[in-house]
Amino acid sequence: MAKRLSCEEAFRRLDDYLDRELLPDEMAEVREHLQTCAHCAHGFAYESGTIKAIRAKIQRIEAPCDLLERVQAALDDVCREREPN
Amino acid sequence: MERAEFEAYLTPLLTAAYGYALRLSGDPDQAMDLVQEASVRAYQGRNSFETGTNFKAWFFKILTNVFLRSQRRRVGEEPTISLDAPDADGRARDYADYRPDPSARAIDRLDAEAVQAAIGRLPEEFRTVAMLYFLNEFRYEEIAETLDIPVGTVRSRLHRGRKLLQDELSAIAVARGLVETGVVDG
Repeated sequence: MAKRLSCEEAFRRLDDYLDRELLPDEMAEVREHLQTCAHCAHGFAYESGTIKAIRAKIQRIEAPCDLLERVQAALDDVCREREPN
Repeated sequence: MERAEFEAYLTPLLTAAYGYALRLSGDPDQAMDLVQEASVRAYQGRNSFETGTNFKAWFFKILTNVFLRSQRRRVGEEPTISLDAPDADGRARDYADYRPDPSARAIDRLDAEAVQAAIGRLPEEFRTVAMLYFLNEFRYEEIAETLDIPVGTVRSRLHRGRKLLQDELSAIAVARGLVETGVVDG
């Protein structure tokens, strides 16, 4: 049976829980606490939502359409330098 | 490793690599140069890569180092966020003091320029960790391998960097009138 965490103990594990970096039994302990504590559940949901919002903003990048072509051209130059005529 | 095999490893990472370089440098042309240079360096050093290990972490390490070297050649702007600011350990503040920040809700109303400005203000060591986390969704171990730092250092820099970025974005949202100050989220 998972250990019952206090709010303070759950809060200390907040970042690692959000990053899914806790051990399985630690994840279960936090999850159980969140199921029974509306205050902590609200805080965790808030932080999780903020991370998702930041990620959505940061990940919105369009790579140039010639990115691959330019990288391949750079590699071609390397290969040409190694094989002089 | 033959070129075809090398490209088979590299090509799927290029878009993510460009995104990472762009978020670090803030400049599309520089980002392209960084990715090209990193690709060349990786190709030239391809025999140092052990097949079966994490090519993504290996390549992003090279890319990060290319970026850091380019920064050392530059003179000028330093990030303006103090490393000595309060709450240096991010989440290590007291549970009793914790309140969800209502201005964080306005982050999704910010444009890309505002986000890039906030990223640019992060100290370098927090910026690289935060970008590997947010942009590329690296795990702690992958970040540690990419940056050649202990996992514990990744944790502390990530938690601090995440909080700094969140605070910066919230401050920008407030400055732009996207959220009222003093609004308490019940």
